[in-house]
Amino acid sequence: MSPLLAVDKLEVVYHRTITAAQGINLTVNAGQIVAILGTNGAGKTTTLRAISGFLGIDDARVTEGSITFKGQRIDSRPPHEIARSGIVLVPERDKVFPNLTVAENLSAAIGLGRADRRRREEATFALFPHLADLRGRIAGLLSGGERQMLAIASALMCQPQILLVDELSLGLAPIVVEDLMARLVQIREQLGITIVIVEQSAAVALGIADYGYVLENGRVVLDGDRARLMAHGDIQEFYLGHTSGDRRSYRSVKQYRRSRRWYG
Amino acid sequence: MATPFGDSTVLQLAVNIVVLSAIYALIACGYVLIYRVSRVLNLAHGELMMLGAYLLVATASSFAGNPLVAIAAAIVLSLVVGVLVYVLLMRKMTGEMALAAVLTTVALGILLRGLMVLIWSAQQRYPGQDLGLPNMAIALPGGARISIFAALLVIATMLIYGGLFAFLHFGNWGIRMRAAGQNPLLAAQRGINLHAIYALAWGLSTLTGSIAGMLIALDSGLTNTMVIIGLKAFPAALVGGLDSLVGALVGALIIATAEVLSIQYIDPLLSDVVPFLVLIAMLIVRPWGLFGTREELDRV
Amino acid sequence: MSDRMPRASGYFRTGYAQEIALIKTRLERVSLVVFVALLIAFPFVASAFYLDLATQVFLAAIGSLSLMLLTGFAGQVSLGHAGLLAAGAFTAGILSKELNAPIFVTLPCAAAIGALLGIVFGLPSLRLRGLYLAVSTLALHFVVIYLGGEYETKRGFSTGITIDAPVIAGLRLYGGKVWYFILLAFAAASLLICANLLRSRSGRAWRAIRAHETVASALGINVAAYKLLAFVISSAMAALAGALFAYYRGFVSVEAFSLFLSIQYVAMIIIGGMGSLLGALLGAAFVTLFPYLIEAVMQRLPNAQAYADVLFAVNYAAFGMVMIGFLIFEPQGLFGIWRRIQSYFLLWPFKQKPIAGGRK
Repeated sequence: MSPLLAVDKLEVVYHRTITAAQGINLTVNAGQIVAILGTNGAGKTTTLRAISGFLGIDDARVTEGSITFKGQRIDSRPPHEIARSGIVLVPERDKVFPNLTVAENLSAAIGLGRADRRRREEATFALFPHLADLRGRIAGLLSGGERQMLAIASALMCQPQILLVDELSLGLAPIVVEDLMARLVQIREQLGITIVIVEQSAAVALGIADYGYVLENGRVVLDGDRARLMAHGDIQEFYLGHTSGDRRSYRSVKQYRRSRRWYG
Repeated sequence: MATPFGDSTVLQLAVNIVVLSAIYALIACGYVLIYRVSRVLNLAHGELMMLGAYLLVATASSFAGNPLVAIAAAIVLSLVVGVLVYVLLMRKMTGEMALAAVLTTVALGILLRGLMVLIWSAQQRYPGQDLGLPNMAIALPGGARISIFAALLVIATMLIYGGLFAFLHFGNWGIRMRAAGQNPLLAAQRGINLHAIYALAWGLSTLTGSIAGMLIALDSGLTNTMVIIGLKAFPAALVGGLDSLVGALVGALIIATAEVLSIQYIDPLLSDVVPFLVLIAMLIVRPWGLFGTREELDRV
Repeated sequence: MSDRMPRASGYFRTGYAQEIALIKTRLERVSLVVFVALLIAFPFVASAFYLDLATQVFLAAIGSLSLMLLTGFAGQVSLGHAGLLAAGAFTAGILSKELNAPIFVTLPCAAAIGALLGIVFGLPSLRLRGLYLAVSTLALHFVVIYLGGEYETKRGFSTGITIDAPVIAGLRLYGGKVWYFILLAFAAASLLICANLLRSRSGRAWRAIRAHETVASALGINVAAYKLLAFVISSAMAALAGALFAYYRGFVSVEAFSLFLSIQYVAMIIIGGMGSLLGALLGAAFVTLFPYLIEAVMQRLPNAQAYADVLFAVNYAAFGMVMIGFLIFEPQGLFGIWRRIQSYFLLWPFKQKPIAGGRK
């Protein structure tokens, strides 16, 4: 079965001088939840931006490679076309329209089919009942968790086939994050939407993901299904925080060990 | 405008205020349309207004016998010009800081002013005479007078505002335009075609400004003061709130009243500076204007 | 207009003194010496026309540096610079005409008036930012121009105020060479003042305010005070430039200080490159020399006579186009172009900075 979304040898350069991502290979199959992990500056957001068509904003461009969605190349399409064709991004920052009400935020979205905005709204409110109470509230005055809910809800109003979620857990209390993650799984089950989540918090992401990619310094250094990733020594040590307990010498310093293990 | 200065009956003053408000309102809605969708203050609006009037001069010479056709052609041309300004120029500034875009409009205004003199020379023009449409004064009850083109302008303003209100409440387009102004990246992400919305806004804005320019030119001739009138209308937009059409109407009324009254009772030389004094006062008290959205809800 | 482009590779410094030194590399020192020598030798080899051009550039540089300080470094947008220049010019004109005050009184007075106006222009910045601040400075500019116009008509100087050449200690300051050196001195002094301000606490505060006001105030910087300081210093300098302009031209009239002049100064800092003193100088030179360049080009064209009387329109059109060109293609200005050239040579033979860790 051919993948829904395929990223092939992607290279992204900022300001024509700084390479942010190189040789990225990703595949996303329909119905999966795929996690992209990595620390700051690893290239996760850059990859998401490249997929959703946003590189131009930061004076970045794709200098090599391609991104294919449903068999067609999307790496040079404008963002609104990509959104309308089925890939919708829930951004990390500036995720709502701050001076519009919640209801207006939801009506602003333009989705795949013109059919029945009312039905879509009802399905969305069914997933996020709390938002129904906040219909008239100005979005800029919502709390962090409510804003994140609104951001996901307005993305759903576009009837996406793939939902890209950028750093969901940022700035939110763990219990809120747990709740939102459960909603994401619900979204996959009930609405059949494929989900790609980008997360710094590996524990949170691997909790719901089927498959994962680990990025470092702009490259994919490891990928595999959840079981394999969670069992991998490096992931356990550097991303999940389980140390082996014995005294460490300078040779066990992160960079040194990783480079020995992965680059030989 | 063709209003006699010496005539100081209250009714004539009221007529003057209504006419000046209509002028400012018609020009101000152009500022509002563009600001609402893109957070850009189009400081070239005055020059675009003047370009519209020159387009009428151009079509007047091509369609000399047919004033209605000339006017219609000029109107269509001005819509095209507005869209072209976006597609060829302002599109490149989408995504940059709003201030950079504003400076681009300033530069555009300067460019247009130079081009207009080069193409049409700096002489005053009278498209009304070219088209054979004399400017008659209508006598109103109470001894006041209003010129026919000034009356047309008031009517045009009302019609255009009515049309714009209807359009913005049709479907969700009013919301989408505001959304595009608040968070363009997110708007694009939610399927809103930013370039199309911006081009539409620029086209409509130039259209309304050009109509104002044409009517002013038909009434009292095409002179350099038209750009100044255009510049004086932007305090009207700001006082009302840069992203609110209702605000533009109210702001125009306030500025026009202040201007007419201070010319009449204080000092005629004040006419060019009164709108900016009102603007400063509003910026001190309530920067986002009477009906504007209060911006920058800063949550770090 | 956005953040400074990152340098492709760095110059490395090993101590704080090195970091804040005005002249950092030997190359800079040598080129500075050569440049100063050229500047001093210039008046003795150039014709009167080019001498005047150079003097105009120095005059523009003072105004440009002051605006760069305010907008390029402190981030406070101002579209009303011509109003401040006018204030300085009118102060000099009024004082010398009405009170026969000598130049060493009018210049400080002009600067003082400029400083006072700076507070007025700066007050809106405490509540407004970005576009709204720009609009408020624009409105204030119109008010200042109106006041100048009122003075002219009410006092009967409807065509403007003439000013006699100033006299210091019996020496009459008149003539191309004299003014060249006077303005060169003032321009150099302004450059030094700005450079020193920028590497001091004020400069750091301004950069912080420009980058992110909220964070700056969270770091303990008195944002309001520093904003006003930026306006005051910038306005005083601009008023001084205006007063010098009045003496240089011997004539003050409100028409010379139109909105177009404000835009020209803004163009100077954009074309030069925001956030760089060198940019201010480059921009001042570019914008000042531009009309003469256009005129020279026009005279080479076949039907030059036809355009002679609309030269100002050609100027406008060309200026508009150049400004648009820079805003679209090189928003970092001439300084940005310089940086690009530097990056190219520093990175060569690579085209872009390679990713950390090597292999592809």
